[in-house]
Amino acid sequence: MGSVELQGVRKLFGGLEVIKGVDLTVAERELVVFVGPSGCGKSTLLRMIAGLESVDYGTVSIAGRDVTELAPASRGVAMVFQNYALYPHMSAFDNMAYGLRRAGLPNAEVNARVKKTAELLQISELLPRRPKSMSGGQRQRVAIGRAIVRDPEVFLFDEPLSNLDASLRVEMRGQIARLHRELQATMIFVTHDQVEAMTLADRIVVLNSGRIEQVGSPLELYANPANRFVAGFLGSPKMNFVPAQVQGVVGETATITAAGLPTFAMPGITGGLKAGDAVTLGLRAEHLSLSPSPVQIPATVRMYEQLGRETVLFVDAGAVQSIESEGGSGALTLQMNQPMAVEIGQSLTLGFDPARAYLFAPDGSRCSARRSVLPG
Amino acid sequence: MTPVPDARKRRTAPRLLWQTVSYHGVMLLFAAIFLLPFFWMTISAFKTKAQIFADHITWFPNPIQWQNVVTLVTRDDFPFVRQFMNSVFYAGSVALAICFSCSLAAYSFGCLRWRGRNFVFILTVCALLLPGIATFLPTYIGWSKLGFNGTYVPLIAPALFGDAFFIFMLRQFFLGVPRELLDAARLDGASEFRIWWQIVMPQVRTALIIVGLFAIVYTWNEFFGPLIYLQKKEDFPLSVGLFTFQSGRSKEWPLAMAGAFFTALPMVVLFLFTQRLFRQGLNSRSLK
Repeated sequence: MGSVELQGVRKLFGGLEVIKGVDLTVAERELVVFVGPSGCGKSTLLRMIAGLESVDYGTVSIAGRDVTELAPASRGVAMVFQNYALYPHMSAFDNMAYGLRRAGLPNAEVNARVKKTAELLQISELLPRRPKSMSGGQRQRVAIGRAIVRDPEVFLFDEPLSNLDASLRVEMRGQIARLHRELQATMIFVTHDQVEAMTLADRIVVLNSGRIEQVGSPLELYANPANRFVAGFLGSPKMNFVPAQVQGVVGETATITAAGLPTFAMPGITGGLKAGDAVTLGLRAEHLSLSPSPVQIPATVRMYEQLGRETVLFVDAGAVQSIESEGGSGALTLQMNQPMAVEIGQSLTLGFDPARAYLFAPDGSRCSARRSVLPG
Repeated sequence: MTPVPDARKRRTAPRLLWQTVSYHGVMLLFAAIFLLPFFWMTISAFKTKAQIFADHITWFPNPIQWQNVVTLVTRDDFPFVRQFMNSVFYAGSVALAICFSCSLAAYSFGCLRWRGRNFVFILTVCALLLPGIATFLPTYIGWSKLGFNGTYVPLIAPALFGDAFFIFMLRQFFLGVPRELLDAARLDGASEFRIWWQIVMPQVRTALIIVGLFAIVYTWNEFFGPLIYLQKKEDFPLSVGLFTFQSGRSKEWPLAMAGAFFTALPMVVLFLFTQRLFRQGLNSRSLK
C-alpha cells in the first residue's frame, strides 16, 4: 500500500479554476475522507488522483512515484463509483476479472484472485450473475471487489454509498471500515455525508471552492474547526451563528455583546481581536440547554422534531437571530438528548456556557480557545 | 360493506366509442390508399398480361401464375438472382461500413473530450445540409481517375468514412452511456479502441441495429449511384436492374411486377420483423 502526495495541484476548466492549489499528504494505510458542499471540487480532486482528469499545475505522487503524467491504469489505483459502473453485459466474475486480463495475468491467477476476493466479500454466489439481476448493495459489493482484486496501492471511493438506502448504507459503511482494517489499505473516500466522514475517516479533508479549509481527525475538526465554514459544515444540526461585537479585550478574555443577549466574557481568545470588531458567535445545538446557564435567553418554540432518543427544537429568541439558519428564519436550533414534551409556541428559557461557545473573527477564522477533543 | 362497482359504468361512453370508430375508420382508409399500389403490384406479379389489362379488374389472380417466378429467376437477359445477390452484398457492406465508421465517430463525439470537438461535430452535422448531387461530379471524376469505375468500391468505400445523419443519431445514444463505465474501463487498463469495442458497443447494440436497418433500406433502394458507376447488368443491384429491365422490355409487365414484388419483399419482411426498432429509430430522430 502506498501514500499519496499532492503538491500545488490546480485544475482549470476553461477559464474557471476549480482546484486552487491543493497540498496534501495521505499516509500509507490511512483512510482519508474528502467532504465539502456540492461543487467544492472533491470529486474532481479524486479523479485527478485517479488520472481521469488531467492536472494543470502541480504534481501527484503515489507510493513516492510521480504519476502526474501516467495513464489511470498505470498509477496503481482502483476506484469505486457512485453508480457502481459495472459493465452491464458482463457477469460479476468478468467485471472483476476484466482489469486483471487487461494486465495480462494468466487465467489461473485471474480465477484464483477473483474467487479469493469474492470469498472475502461474501459474494461468491453472485459471480455468474449480471449486474441487472443484483440489488444495489450487491452491485456495490461487486464494484468494491473489482477494486480489491487489482491489489492497488490506493483505493479511491467516489460517493459509493449515495445510491443505497439508509440501512444498506450503514451496513456498507461498516463493511468498508472492516475492509480498511483487514486490507491495511490506503483509501481516499469522497462524500457529502458528514456522518460517513465522521465514522469512517482517520482524517477528514474539508474542501470549499477548490481549496482545503482544514485537515484533521473527525473529532479534532468537530471540536476545533479552523473557521466558520468548517464549523458550519460539520455537525448536524448545524451550528448556530449569531452576529456579535467585541466590547473589550483584557488579556485572553473578550467581553462580547450581541443583540438580545446580556454582555458576557469569553476566555481563551486569540487572534488579535480588539474592541469594536464584528465577530460571529458560534453555538452548537447540543451546547444550548434548558437548564440554568451563565447566559440566559428567553425564547418560544417555533418547530420541533421528535427523533426518538433526541429532540431537536427550533426556537425564536427575539433579537438573537441565527444567520444561516434553516429557511433563513433566524431560529436557533437546540438538541436535547432525550425525548421531551413540547408544544409549538411554548415559552422556554435557554442558555449556554460561554466557555463552550465559539467565536469567529471577521475573516471567518476561529479566535476562541482550543477545546480538548474528548471531554474529561 | 363496500358495494361492488357497477360494471356497466366502466363501459366506453358512446361519444368516446364514436371517436374511436371514426379515428380507426379514417386511418384504415389512408392505409388502404397507401397499400393499394403494393397490393396491385403483388397480384400483377402472379397474373398473365391479359389478366392485368383485362377490362374487368380481378382482385386476386386466378389461376396464380407461378410461371412468372420461374421465368424471373431463369431468364438470361434479366439476371434477377445475380442482381438480388448484388443488392444483398451492396446493402450489407454499406450497413456494416456505416455501423463501423459512424460508431467510431459517434464515440469520439459522444464519449471523448478533445479540443474543438463541438466545432467539428457542428461541421459534420452541416454536411447534412449539403445535397449529395453537389459533390457528385468531383467524386465521380476522382473514382474514375483511380480506376474504380464499374466496381462497387465507389459505392461502398464512402460508407467507411461515416454518414452525417447516422453519426448524429448514434451520438445521441453514445451520450447516454454512463461516463463512469468509460472511467472504470480506463482504470482497468483498456485502450480507447477496446473501450469502444468491448464496453460501449454492447451498450448501444439497439442503436447499431437501427442504424444498420436504416442503412440497408436506404442502400437497397439506392438508384443514382449504382446507375452512374456500374455499367454491366450482371453488376447492377436490383434497383437499377429492375429499372433497365422495365425500360428495355416495357411490354413484359407480369415479369416486371414479379421483379418489383421480389425486390420490395425483403424490405417488407425486414420491416415486419423489426418495426419496433424502426419506430425507436424514428423517435430518436425526431426527439433528440
